[in-house]
Amino acid sequence: MNLWVVLPVLAVMALLRLLKVGLLTWVLVWWGALYIGMRYGLAAPAPQSVITLYMSIVTLSLAAYVGSSRERTEGVLGPMIRLMSEKRYTPLLVAIALLIPGLAGYNAYLAAGLREEPPYFSRTVHPAPPPQITVGEREVDLIRSVNPYRELEESDPQAFEEHARAGREVYYENCFYCHGDALGGDGMFAHGLDPLPSDFTDAGVLPNFQESFFFWRVAKGGPGLPAEGGPWDSAMPRWEQFLDEDEMWDVLIFLYDFTDRTPREVGEFVNE
Amino acid sequence: MNRKLQILVALFGIAAFMAVALKVLMVLQASEFKSPVAAVDTVETPRDQALTELAEDRAAREQAKPYVDEEYRQAPVFGSRVVVWVLAQLHLLFAAFVLAVPIFAMIIEAVGYFTGDKKYDKLAYEFTKLMATAFSLTATFGAFLTFALIALYPKFTTYLMHVFSPTFLPYVLLFFFEALFFYSYYYGWGKFHPLVHLGLGFMLNVVGTAIMFIANGWLTFMMSPAGVADSGAVINAWEALMNFTWMPINIHRVIANVAYGGSVAGAYAAWKFLGAKTDEERAHYDWMGYIGMFVAISAFLPLPFAGYYLAREIYAFNQALGIMMMGGAFSWLFIIQAVLIGCLFLAANFYLWLGMGRIEGTLPFQKLIKWLLIAIAVCFAIWATPRSLISTPAEVRGMGGSTHPILGALGFMAAKNTAVNIMILTTYVSFMLYRRTGKRPIVKWAKWGNIAQFTLFALASAVVIFLGVVSYFVDAATRIRLSVPQVLAVLAAMGAMTIIDIFLLRGAEKTGKIHWGKLPPISQYVLIFIAVTFTWLMGLMGYLRSGLRMHWHVYGVIRDNSVDAFTPTLGFATQVVSVTVLIFFVLIAFVFWISGLSSKEDWQPRSSAVEP
Amino acid sequence: MKIPAEIKIVALVVGTCAFYTYVGQLVPQKEVQPPAEVLISSDITTEEMIAIGEEIAQGKGLCLTCHTVGESGALRFPDLAGIGSSCTTRIPDKSGLEYLAQSLYEPDIYIVPGFNPGMPNIARPPIGLTNDEMLCVIAWLQSMGSEATVTLETRHSYNTDAPEAE
Repeated sequence: MNLWVVLPVLAVMALLRLLKVGLLTWVLVWWGALYIGMRYGLAAPAPQSVITLYMSIVTLSLAAYVGSSRERTEGVLGPMIRLMSEKRYTPLLVAIALLIPGLAGYNAYLAAGLREEPPYFSRTVHPAPPPQITVGEREVDLIRSVNPYRELEESDPQAFEEHARAGREVYYENCFYCHGDALGGDGMFAHGLDPLPSDFTDAGVLPNFQESFFFWRVAKGGPGLPAEGGPWDSAMPRWEQFLDEDEMWDVLIFLYDFTDRTPREVGEFVNE
Repeated sequence: MNRKLQILVALFGIAAFMAVALKVLMVLQASEFKSPVAAVDTVETPRDQALTELAEDRAAREQAKPYVDEEYRQAPVFGSRVVVWVLAQLHLLFAAFVLAVPIFAMIIEAVGYFTGDKKYDKLAYEFTKLMATAFSLTATFGAFLTFALIALYPKFTTYLMHVFSPTFLPYVLLFFFEALFFYSYYYGWGKFHPLVHLGLGFMLNVVGTAIMFIANGWLTFMMSPAGVADSGAVINAWEALMNFTWMPINIHRVIANVAYGGSVAGAYAAWKFLGAKTDEERAHYDWMGYIGMFVAISAFLPLPFAGYYLAREIYAFNQALGIMMMGGAFSWLFIIQAVLIGCLFLAANFYLWLGMGRIEGTLPFQKLIKWLLIAIAVCFAIWATPRSLISTPAEVRGMGGSTHPILGALGFMAAKNTAVNIMILTTYVSFMLYRRTGKRPIVKWAKWGNIAQFTLFALASAVVIFLGVVSYFVDAATRIRLSVPQVLAVLAAMGAMTIIDIFLLRGAEKTGKIHWGKLPPISQYVLIFIAVTFTWLMGLMGYLRSGLRMHWHVYGVIRDNSVDAFTPTLGFATQVVSVTVLIFFVLIAFVFWISGLSSKEDWQPRSSAVEP
Repeated sequence: MKIPAEIKIVALVVGTCAFYTYVGQLVPQKEVQPPAEVLISSDITTEEMIAIGEEIAQGKGLCLTCHTVGESGALRFPDLAGIGSSCTTRIPDKSGLEYLAQSLYEPDIYIVPGFNPGMPNIARPPIGLTNDEMLCVIAWLQSMGSEATVTLETRHSYNTDAPEAE
C-alpha cells in the first residue's frame, strides 16, 4: 500500500466529515478517493482494465445509493440545480462547463500519445531443460548430474570454502551487474531488462531445481532457452564462452552458500 | 340506399369483376397460340426442334437425379446455427415464463384463499392472464424450432428421435393435459370451489413441470450422454433421459423460471404503472410490481446455489468439460455473468430501498443502507474480478508478473463463493428492513427476537467469510466441499430469520402508512431493467450450456461436422443474445398489450351530434 | 415536450442490451475451431512423432487443459516436465513405456501421490485418441526429460495382445 497516497486521502475525508459537507460533495469525494486509491495507492499498480471495472461498479453503486431515496436524490440534484439556475454561481458554472470538454480533450490527447507496446509474450520462466548439453568438449547429463564440488561440503569443508570463495570472485566479476550485490535480482543494469534477472534470494528459485538446471542456465544463457522460454527476450549471456566448467560449478556453490539454500535432490521431481 | 348496402354491393361487384377477369385470363392461357398471320406450312422450324430437344433433355436429367441424404442444410443469410439458436432461446424464454406464472399465481391465490383477502385472488388472475397469450407463442416457437431442426440438421434430428422417440407420446399427451388444466384454470376462474380451482392450478404446475423435465432430458443428453453405446445406438432410453446433468438442470430451471417469470410479471406491472391515469391504478400496479419483484428475488436468492450444483455435476461428469467451462474457453463468459448478476443485486436492492420511501417512518433504516451498499459494491467488485487480468506488458512488469499480489487472490472461487453468499445475505437483510419499515413489533420478546436475528446474520456472515479464507489454504477438492457449509449456513440463517420475523411481527403496530403508488417513476424503470437483465442472463447461460459441447452434437458420441462446428467469440455470442432478447421484448410487448386489452373500456361508436 | 413512457421503455430495453453487448466486446475474443485431424502416415520417424504428440497435447488430446509443463506449487494435476525420466521409477517393476501407456489408457489404476483421480479415458470419445496417436503422445512425453524411443511399431500392453515389448 502506498501510504503517501492513502494517508492524505483519508485525512481529506476526515476533514470533510468534520466540516459536515453535503451529499453531493461526499459522492464526488468518494468516487475520487476510490479512483485515486486504486490508481496510485497500491504498491503494485493495478491494470487499467481492473480499475475501469471497479470504477464502473463504484459509479453504479453510488448512483443506486443516490437514487434510492427522495431525500438523497434531492441532496444531490438540489445543489446541481442551484448551480445551474442561480446567478451567483455563473462563474463556477462556466468554469465547469469548460472543464468537462477540457478533460475530454486531455483524455483524447493521452490516448493519442500511447507508447508502442511490444506484443505480450507469456514466457515460461523455468522451462524444462534438455536431457543433456555439450559444454566445451564434455557432454553433461542434466538429468543425473550433480555439482562435483557439492560433496566437499561434508568431506572437505576447507576445500569447499575455497570453491565458494572462487565462485564469489566469479560472481562479483561477472554476475552482480544484473543479479545484484546481494543476489536480489536488482543489479545496476536490471532496470533496463525485461525479463528481470533472477532473484536468487527468492524461495521459489534456488531450492526448487536441481543444480544441473542452473548449470544449464549459466552455460547456455538466454540463447539456449527453448522457444517457450523466450530465448531472445532474455539478456542472460552464454557464459560457456567466457568461463570454464569449474568456474561455473564454483559460482553455483557460491550462490547456494550465500543464500543458505540446498539444491533439489536428483531424482526428486517438481510435483512429487 | 343506405351506407351499409352500398358497401356490400361494391364489394360484391369487385369480387364478381375479379372472378370474371380471372376466368378470362385462364381461358386465354389455356388456349393454343394462334398466329395472326396464316402459316405457310406447319413444319417445325429448327428453333422449335431445338427447344423441344432441350426440354426433353432437361426432363431426362431431372428424372435421373439420384436421391442423396443431406446431413446438413444451410439456412440463408444467418446460417443454420444462429437460426436454431435464436429459435431455441425464444422458445425457452416463453416456456420459462409459461411455467413460472402458474407457480406463483397458485401461491398468490392460495394466500388469498387462506387470508380471505380478495385482492390476492384478483392479482393471481391478472398474472394468469399474461400466460394465455404467451402459451401460444411458446408452442409456435416450439414448432418453429422443431421444423428448423428437421430442415437444417436432418441427420442429427433423426438420431435424437432414435434415442427419444419413446418420449414424444408422453410429451404430447402432457400438452393435452396442460391445455385442459390451463384453460379450465383460467377461464373457470371463480367458477369453481376455491380449493378445486387451486387443485386445477396445482395440476397445471405438475403437468408443466413434467413437460419441462422431458424436454430437459433431450438437451442434457446432448451434454452428458448416458444409455447409449459409443456408436450412438440406444442401450437404455430411460438412462438416456435421466442422465448425469438432468436433475441439476431440472432444479436450476425450476428456480430460475420462477425468478425470471416474476421479473417479467413485474415489468408488466411497471408498464401499466407508468401508463396509469388514476391514483388507484397506480397503487394497484405498484403493489403488483412489488409482488412480482418479491417473487423474483425470493427465487433469485437460492439460484446461485442451484447453479453451483449444476457446475459441480458437469465437473463430475467430465473434468475436461468442467475445466473448459470455468478455466478455458468459457471462463470469460462468467465474468460477463458476474456483471449481470451484480447489476441484478444492485437493482433489486435499489428497488427495495426506494420502496421503503413509500412507507412513513423509514428514517431509522436509511442509515443502514449505506452499509448494505458498501457490502454489495465490494462483493460485486470481488465477484467480477477475473482470474487472469487483462493487462498491457508494461502493467505486467509493474505488477511483477501476470498476477497482481492482492487482486490475484480475488480471482479464485474461494473469494467468489464468499462474495456471492454475502451479497445474498445482504439482499435478504434489505428485504427484512423493508418488511420492518412502518411497523413496530408488540410481542414481549421483540428485543430478544431482534438480537437473535442479528446474531444469526452475524454468525452466517462469519461462517461464510471464515470458510472463504480457509478455502485459500486447502486443495481443490476440499475447497469445493467447503462450499456446502457456506451455502447451508446462509440458507439456514435466512430460514431461521424468516421464521423469527413472522412471529416477531405478528400483530405489529403500524407506525407508518404504506402509500402504494407513491413511488418515483425510476423505480418502474428499474423493474423493467431487472426483467431485461434476467432475460439476457438466460440467453447468456443458454449459450454456455449449448456451447460447452464444442464440436459435438452429443458430447463424445455424435460429432458435429457442419460448417458451424466452431465455437464463436463471446462478442458474437453477446450480439446474438441481444438480438434474441430484443425480439423477445417486441413479442412480450404484444403479450402485454393483449393482456391489457381486457381492462380497457369497450369501443364506442362516435356519437353524432344530430340524429340522421 | 413529454416523452411517452413507451418510448422511454424501448430506449431502456435497447440501452440495456447494448450495454451488455458492449461488455461482451470488452472481454478477450477467442474463436475455438474444432481440432484438426492430424494425419499420421505409416513411415514417420520418432522425431516427427514427438512433434505430432505435442500437437495432439495442445489440440485434440486436451492434455494441456489440465496438465501443466514446468510449473511447481499447488497444482491440480501432475506437472509433466521431466516425465520422460520419472516414468521409469514411478512404479517398481514397471518399465517407463508401460507406465506411460497405463497412465494414458487406464489413468485410474495409479494416481500420483498428492493428487486426486479425475483424468478421463482419452482412448474413448469425446477425446478418442487412436493407438497411433497415443504412441505419438508417448513419444512426446518421453522427450521431456529423456530420449524418445517409441516408433509406430512399438507394442505395449494396450495396443496388442502380444506380451510386453521394449
